[in-house]
Amino acid sequence: MSEPGSRPATTSVRVVLVDDHRMFRSGVKAELDESMVIVGEAGDVDEAIVVVAQTRPDVVLLDVHLPGGNGHGGSDVITGSAGVTTESGDPVRFLALSVSDSAEDVIAVIRAGARGYVTKTIYGQDLTEAIRRVADGDAVFSPRLAGFVLDAFGAAAGEVAVIDEELDRLSAREREVMRLIARGYQYKEVAKELFISIKTVETHVSSVLRKLQLSSRHELTAWAVGRHLL
Amino acid sequence: MGIVPTPFELPQSAVGPGVRRPMRRLERPIQGRRIGGVCAGLAEHLGINVRYVRVGFVLACLGGGAGIVAYVFLWALTPQALETTAVAGADAVAGSPPANESVRNLVVGLALLVVGLALYAQQRGVNLHLGVLIPLLTMAGGAVLAWSKLDDAERDRWLVQDMESGGRRVGLLRLGIGIALASIGVVVLATQGLGLAGLWSVGIAALAVLAGAALIAAPWGMRLWGDLRVEQAQRIRQTERADIAAHLHDSVLQTLALIQRKSGDPAEVVRLARAQERELRGWLYAGPLGSQATLASAVTEVAHEVEDLHGTPIELVVTGDRTLDDGGTGLVRALREALLNAVRHGAPPVSVYVEVGSECVEAFVRDHGPGFALADVPQDRLGVRESILGRMSRHGGSAGVRRLEHGTEVSIFLPVAPGSLSATQPDTATQPDTEGMR
Repeated sequence: MSEPGSRPATTSVRVVLVDDHRMFRSGVKAELDESMVIVGEAGDVDEAIVVVAQTRPDVVLLDVHLPGGNGHGGSDVITGSAGVTTESGDPVRFLALSVSDSAEDVIAVIRAGARGYVTKTIYGQDLTEAIRRVADGDAVFSPRLAGFVLDAFGAAAGEVAVIDEELDRLSAREREVMRLIARGYQYKEVAKELFISIKTVETHVSSVLRKLQLSSRHELTAWAVGRHLL
Repeated sequence: MGIVPTPFELPQSAVGPGVRRPMRRLERPIQGRRIGGVCAGLAEHLGINVRYVRVGFVLACLGGGAGIVAYVFLWALTPQALETTAVAGADAVAGSPPANESVRNLVVGLALLVVGLALYAQQRGVNLHLGVLIPLLTMAGGAVLAWSKLDDAERDRWLVQDMESGGRRVGLLRLGIGIALASIGVVVLATQGLGLAGLWSVGIAALAVLAGAALIAAPWGMRLWGDLRVEQAQRIRQTERADIAAHLHDSVLQTLALIQRKSGDPAEVVRLARAQERELRGWLYAGPLGSQATLASAVTEVAHEVEDLHGTPIELVVTGDRTLDDGGTGLVRALREALLNAVRHGAPPVSVYVEVGSECVEAFVRDHGPGFALADVPQDRLGVRESILGRMSRHGGSAGVRRLEHGTEVSIFLPVAPGSLSATQPDTATQPDTEGMR
């Protein structure tokens, strides 16, 4: 899918794969299209930090559950790689990839700084698109993560922020975007549905991600602990 | 507990004394003991009738008390048998008195006998050095009392038992009294002929020695205790591991075997994998409570059912929850129909989003197939018209079908009575379902 972004679709994206399952890594490699260049792989936290620092990739595809480090899995890799930039000076971006249904894990890795979360059952083409999007600095939300956001911010129950800057609630527009993503809409379709540009959709999603990372809404943690994204 | 031998021990017990049999480890059985189980254990070990052993010990006692010494020695050094080991001895019969009672009788009898003998000897003019004898006897009594608590089998149970249990308190009491008796015996013996002042200084010296010993032994004791703790934790972990292994064996391994056998049928493989994934997720993440009558669980169940029927993965997202009422049941049925349509006529990925709000429930089923509009559906096809649209309007809601650029979306809307919700409470699974079916 070709979308107007800051990076033309033909530019290759340098990717590091971090997952402790070798079988899964080779599966992902086979699925990604040729515009994705796998520059490194790692199987645990410490190895991942070294590989990321050495290869300085655009995107790190990061499993949430990893051995090693301080025992926080993917979050440890993100904290351990803080400040690493690509050759063009952009920060290295992280896309969390998980089979875990535990909201606790997902929210931890997002709050550590990941730009998005997708499930491991994602189709190859969608994954390629998600990586490209993260490489461009946008956020990637799976339907599940969108549903989680709606629930955790009370948006499903009708709570809406009056001003956009409010960290603990979603704005009406953000809520709409999240709802459409939860319904399985691509960004393109969301844009069409709401009569806005894709760029605007991306802005909304990034803003939700920021709220997710910065909000001190107490339900967020309580929600994550008490519930699993089933 | 009966004294039924385990099946594989039965033939052994039937073997006569002359026949060669494997030598058993020397241990004191719990069943069929008279005092400490030494004779029974020895008989078992040597393969002779327990009666001869007992007679032998009694005879040895008469000869200057050697029997008693031997008995105590063996008792202290022989481990207690595990409870499962049945005794093949002749008096392992149900009628024998409980060991405790016979011990008590025996101790009282022995004490009386000793006192009587002592008095008799005294009368006959023999100097028994009562000043030495009584402290010695006190010490011996205390030691027996304390040691008997350190009996192998009991010690294990004792350490595992929690603080509150009465058994442990009694045990501690016995240990305390035993130690006190033994100490008094030692003190009296050691301070013979000294005055009160001497007693005082000896006491302080003894205390100092004790404190020093405790100080030296403390690290060792702590380490022993720590090791014990570690061992217990390991045992618990092993049990857990065994549970997990058993579960994986029954579920995942079976499914993997099935998948290998059906590797030629991709649809079946996907179906099996999804079903197994769900089962595993349920086992890993679901709480101890089973499925409750909530809307979210009903929706989840329906989605899984359709997934199982057709092998098409369904991406399900539910936010909020409420108890399942009549309208909710209608919504779930309509949703099921929409899902069946999506997997039959549409193309994956199929997404379901159900939002349970405070005033309404909204559900969306979306597929990526060629799409269809309601107008194209023949009038006689009842699936969409009756099962989805008609059903929802009967329940006071509404439904619509929309053709998108890629695929179709069925939307279902159901207003709900405010007040009967738990939408903002994310963790409905932990709440008792007091409202039941409305």
